[in-house]
Amino acid sequence: MYLGEFEQVVLLAALRLGDDAYAIPIREEIERRTGRTVARGALYTALERLEEKRYLRSRMSTPLPERGGRSRRYFTVTPAGVVALRHSRSSLLNLWQGIERLLEP
Amino acid sequence: MSSASHSPPRPAERLLALALRSDAQRESVLGDLHEEYAARAVSSGSRAALWYWLQALSIGLRLCASAALEPPGRSANSASSPPHRGDSLMRTLDVEVRHALRALIKRPALTGILVLTLALGLGANAAIFALIDALVLRPFTMDGVDQIVVLSHTRDNDIDRQETVSPADFLDIRAQTDVVEHLAAAEWWSVNLVGRDEPEAVLGFQVSAGFLPALGVQPARGRNFLPDEETQGRHRRVILGHGLWQRRFAGDPSIVGSAIQINGAPYDVVGIAPEGFDFPWGAQLWAPLSFDAEAAARRRSRYLTLVGRLAPGRTLDDARAQMAVIGARLEEQHPDTNRGYHIRVHTLAQGMLDVGLGPILSLWQASAIFVLLIACANVANLLLARGAERQREMAVRLAIGASRSRVVRELLIESTILALVSVPAALAVAHVSLGVLRGAMPPKLVPFVAGWHSIDVDGRLFLFTASLAVAAALVFGLVPAIQAARPRLAESLKEGGRSATTGASRLRLRRGLVIGEVALALPLLVGCGLSILSVQRFLNGPQGYNVDGLLTMQLVLSEGSYPEEAARRRFAERAVEQLQSIPGALHAAAVNIMPAAGGNSTRTIEIDGRPNPDPANPPAADYRTATPGIFETLGIPILAGRGFTEADREDGQQVAIVSQSFAQRHWPDVDPLGKQVQPGTGPWLTVVGVCGDVIHNWFGRRNYPTVYRPLAQAPPSSMALLIRGSGDPAALAGEARRAIRAVDPAQPLFEVMVMTEVLRERTTGVRYVAAIMTAFGGLALLLAVIGVYGIMTFMVTQRTHEIGVRMALGATRRDVVRLAVGQTSRLTLIGAAIGVVLSVALGRIVEAGLLGIISSDLRVVAVVAGTLVTVALAAGYIPARRAAAIDPVIALRAE
Repeated sequence: MYLGEFEQVVLLAALRLGDDAYAIPIREEIERRTGRTVARGALYTALERLEEKRYLRSRMSTPLPERGGRSRRYFTVTPAGVVALRHSRSSLLNLWQGIERLLEP
Repeated sequence: MSSASHSPPRPAERLLALALRSDAQRESVLGDLHEEYAARAVSSGSRAALWYWLQALSIGLRLCASAALEPPGRSANSASSPPHRGDSLMRTLDVEVRHALRALIKRPALTGILVLTLALGLGANAAIFALIDALVLRPFTMDGVDQIVVLSHTRDNDIDRQETVSPADFLDIRAQTDVVEHLAAAEWWSVNLVGRDEPEAVLGFQVSAGFLPALGVQPARGRNFLPDEETQGRHRRVILGHGLWQRRFAGDPSIVGSAIQINGAPYDVVGIAPEGFDFPWGAQLWAPLSFDAEAAARRRSRYLTLVGRLAPGRTLDDARAQMAVIGARLEEQHPDTNRGYHIRVHTLAQGMLDVGLGPILSLWQASAIFVLLIACANVANLLLARGAERQREMAVRLAIGASRSRVVRELLIESTILALVSVPAALAVAHVSLGVLRGAMPPKLVPFVAGWHSIDVDGRLFLFTASLAVAAALVFGLVPAIQAARPRLAESLKEGGRSATTGASRLRLRRGLVIGEVALALPLLVGCGLSILSVQRFLNGPQGYNVDGLLTMQLVLSEGSYPEEAARRRFAERAVEQLQSIPGALHAAAVNIMPAAGGNSTRTIEIDGRPNPDPANPPAADYRTATPGIFETLGIPILAGRGFTEADREDGQQVAIVSQSFAQRHWPDVDPLGKQVQPGTGPWLTVVGVCGDVIHNWFGRRNYPTVYRPLAQAPPSSMALLIRGSGDPAALAGEARRAIRAVDPAQPLFEVMVMTEVLRERTTGVRYVAAIMTAFGGLALLLAVIGVYGIMTFMVTQRTHEIGVRMALGATRRDVVRLAVGQTSRLTLIGAAIGVVLSVALGRIVEAGLLGIISSDLRVVAVVAGTLVTVALAAGYIPARRAAAIDPVIALRAE
């Protein structure tokens, strides 16, 4: 199964953050690395979908006072998620082969 | 700030929680937003709340939309989150909401236009509601504000609630009531502060000892006034406002207990008011109100504003009952002064409400509702057009067994969702317009509008807008829904049935909507035209005096420094002398009240030889005392007799000059010169001249009878100084200040302004009304034009075939244009005719909102109606041209 572009971005961000990956830093990581703004609603939808596809797994933290007594939901990329990312990367690299020169400024 | 204040707005949180499907999602999304909100709230509280609202709405919508676009059943199988189970009705609704969302998402352009239209209509209402909420419903935020009452003592048709109680009545009421505690009177007090800095004029109030306790306010430093400080001789105490203390005394805490110079006398500072307290009307300092024996006996002059606090366990009704008894007793004991006067009990918000504000806000609210109705008509129109497209779909669903009620319900759900989606956009519109409104208000007027600072988008406003949106959805959604559920099945299902898209009743309905839009837009445009005209008239109309080249300034001679008439006379004469000697000054004068001043001075009038037929209601006139140069300085013509001269001294003959309207009213057919007149309780005066009328203000003081006296014969304690210069009057300001300082270095001047600027400031309120009415008028016009354009486009498209046939049979392009434009003009003319009737009927509301400056004028109505019809015709012309450009061959082939 192929990953959508935004799904890849979200998975990569979650992978980079490791143990700290919950929605707020994921969004910040994406915005910092890609320079594009991410609507919170879009991110939550993507996280939900990726968890349904079993590419992400989530666990709840202990409740925190600064969140009004609510828990954080930390995401971990599953082995299946890593496989999907690897698959996407290699297909893209195959497609890029030999044409990078054409796109140089 | 406590951590509790960093909690996000509860209603927004609850709303978003509805859109979150699993516990895990609810926990994580709400928690994330809470975390981010707290970080933002530290730097800017109200903006963070708005941010939260927008995020909550956008996240909620996106999650709902993605759920709707997913194949049904999938999200329910999501492994990580337990499925959300409701009862069966909830599940049907759930499916229907998804249907509706999908239908809206499938037509993004149409949905966008609909949302934008609704956002403008709802946003206008939200902004006005925010104004009403902050200014009328909740202008004050003191502790226990529900317990604070304002008492007025008025006759049945008096509308004033402030400054209506006489000292003697106040003392009697206070002695007799046990339902209202801390009953306190407040009186305006002009304060000249001297020492430490430039002399300065400050707004103060003299108040009874119960004043601060009645309002539930404790001094931030020092103490409140003591009851025995209400006695003459012990009354020289003062509580400083926080702002004044910071600004003039650099927040020095040791000022409490020391004395400051006020109006030429030492006052002990006993306390500092808490920050932000400036009741009433932006007061900056307070002193005890004391009455000497003569004042305490006064029953006829009513100038006190009364506030008090309901005793624990007592209600407004208890207070009203007791005040009725006390009022009746006072009426019985003092029939000559109190007959017909009743004591009324108001809440603080009602009691302090400016009487002009009500009509203005109702004018705006009525306009906002009109705009919303026009928006609804447009939306209904677009939905009807789409209903026509979807008729086959509806017919199929009905044919295979869907119930009509279900189809209607689904379409209504669609309308409701549409309306709710528009709410955040509407709040954004409201937020922006309120920002503009706040920015446009001159800082000088802000203290007089209690609650001005608290105007913004909040949870209450959201609830109001959302409920209004649902109500609007019923208005614009019901008709198209019922129409759609009643298609002629057989025809609609026939292949290629063109008639399926027309339907006479539907077309009739859409025509009705266009007529309605035009009819509703017209009164709004008339209101807009009238308000612009009043501002113009106010600023540029004839004033009765020469506005250009005048510099004005105000001052108050304090009792302490100028106790004697002679001292005040000397000051005024020396000041005028000094001003006249400024290079570039042509004339100068002093007068108790200058034209267009905020205040006024009037006297009842007795005319010798003409006894007043109704002694209870004597005639009155505006009362002016001025130095001889007043008529040259203002440029008021002397029409008969003479002006004042230096010979009109205090010991000479007591003389008067009356205005033309005065002469016409009291001596319509005899020569007024040499007649005797007595203003108030003063001496009898001999009329020596008649001068031209002036417009003191445009709100009911136009060419009002006025009597002038020489200042030397009646020197006032507060006065305006006027200088007419040969060049730019503003350039004289510096020299003028120096000139006054030469007369008395401790005398503060305020409002040193050019006359044209004074007039401009006087019009602030009207310009405000005009600007808002213009916005409403513009919105109404825009929406009406879109409506006309929309339906004409639709009708032309529907009749493409017919047009093709006509052209094939020899009709020219001009005939086709005429056909299409003819339709538009019929509809707009009918709409305009209804609109004219509506405008005339609603004219009274507009007049009241414009404070009677202008009466509704049929010429304005005619011009506006002409403009509206022209613009609507232009909007209809574009589709007509398109119709004429149709190639008949292609049109016929469209079969």
